Amino acid sequence: MLPLHSNSLARRPFASPLPLPPASLPSPRETHIWYVVPDELKDASLLYQYMELLSPCERQSVLRMNGERLQKGALLARALVRTTLARYTDGRLSPKSFKFQKNRFGKPEVEWDKYDLWAPPPLQFNISHTSTMIACGVTLDLPIGIDIEEKQRKTSNNILSLAHRYFSPVEVAYLKTLADPECRQSEFIRLWTLKEAYVKALGRGFSGTPFKDFTIRLEASNSKQVTGELKSDAPSIVVEAVDDPGILMNRWQFALFELNNSHYTAVCMERDVKNPADGENNSLKLEVWRTLPFVEDECVTETDAVKNIIR
Amino acid sequence: MRKRGTPPNRALRARRPPEISPPVRSLPLAFSLSSDRSMASISGTVTATSVRPRLTSRAPVVKGFSGLKSVSFSIQRNGFPSVRLQAAPRQRRFQVSCAQAKPETVQKVCEIVKKQLALSDDTPVSGESKFSTLGADSLDTVEIVMGLEEAFGISVEEESAQSITTVQDAADLIEKLVEAKSS
Repeated sequence: MLPLHSNSLARRPFASPLPLPPASLPSPRETHIWYVVPDELKDASLLYQYMELLSPCERQSVLRMNGERLQKGALLARALVRTTLARYTDGRLSPKSFKFQKNRFGKPEVEWDKYDLWAPPPLQFNISHTSTMIACGVTLDLPIGIDIEEKQRKTSNNILSLAHRYFSPVEVAYLKTLADPECRQSEFIRLWTLKEAYVKALGRGFSGTPFKDFTIRLEASNSKQVTGELKSDAPSIVVEAVDDPGILMNRWQFALFELNNSHYTAVCMERDVKNPADGENNSLKLEVWRTLPFVEDECVTETDAVKNIIR
Repeated sequence: MRKRGTPPNRALRARRPPEISPPVRSLPLAFSLSSDRSMASISGTVTATSVRPRLTSRAPVVKGFSGLKSVSFSIQRNGFPSVRLQAAPRQRRFQVSCAQAKPETVQKVCEIVKKQLALSDDTPVSGESKFSTLGADSLDTVEIVMGLEEAFGISVEEESAQSITTVQDAADLIEKLVEAKSS
């Protein structure tokens, strides 16, 4: 089967659900991101199809959400996870067949069955959503966290109050250097998504990794990191413990970018040490698709939908 | 050699491991399946929220004593590094909260929540409403906590804040803190 891996728009007329086009597995330093824009879903019967994919437990959870809009969002989130994962199984697993469990800290992960003649790919995933977008990140065998936030998101509380309360001293100091309130607002949101993505990648929940205990910042270029490799010229995003400043937690790599011109998106992925990087290109690679499962997939990686990438 | 009667396509015949029932069911966990906004229900990883005396058979109940005690339920898993729980020592222990917040407190919390989440006036919000089902994400939840602190003149510690998943939890915690403050 040929992987659908082109930049072209692949739109299928909506009749009955066609099999999802298979996708090539992410490579060691890659995160694949599939996102759906709920407002693009105009056909209500598609919602029934998505509902069919869910487990009874998931269906109940969806219906418990308060109001139609939230229910639709919850439904799309589950449908997105299931259809996305199914794409990487070369047609062997249907979206409906996936089972999920929680790790010892409560992070959702796939519960794989054992098959006799086929080993399912060890996919790891994480989702995030706002009312206007749902995103699912997938890696091959590496912990991942993803968080999205609307660029226009406003906070009820003052930015510095929030930062003082929840961010580390270094981060607060950084925000204070920004005189322009709009700039400060957007940097707060971007930093929030990075911190969320990190916590979600670790998978220990908010309580296991309090925001105040770690700093995320840009590390200047030309610095040698623990691995002894010289980074490229661009500054990179790093994380360090507040109690241990200067010791970068090199195990984690980040990407921060704008998605669909509407959302700040942060991805945190564990660095793959089994496959050491060749040469300088050690940073996190992204492949991004916009999707409406069973209707349309569009690879947007090299387009305007993914921009201002910092890694 | 294939035995007679074996289904031809063995490749996808799943071998299912024996069913292992999880030790804890139906307790709010750090992540919920329904939505990534699971971060909003930032409960400690295995911390039950306050349990009202009239319980279904879901969780065992032990009658507590006078005074407010928040419920905590911790599970020791194979010597794993401890997850920070809400003031819970590492042993199985059930304590039941005997007192609930006044209706006025619950009402006030509902108002603040509705405002933060921009819910319409006719959206039903009650003590049992979960923040996550109301569409609160993690940023909403911290903003709600800050709003509550301002409205009630209290200070909520991060660990306590993380155990709040419902409006009732918030109201109970508020009253506990207000009482502690005035005593």
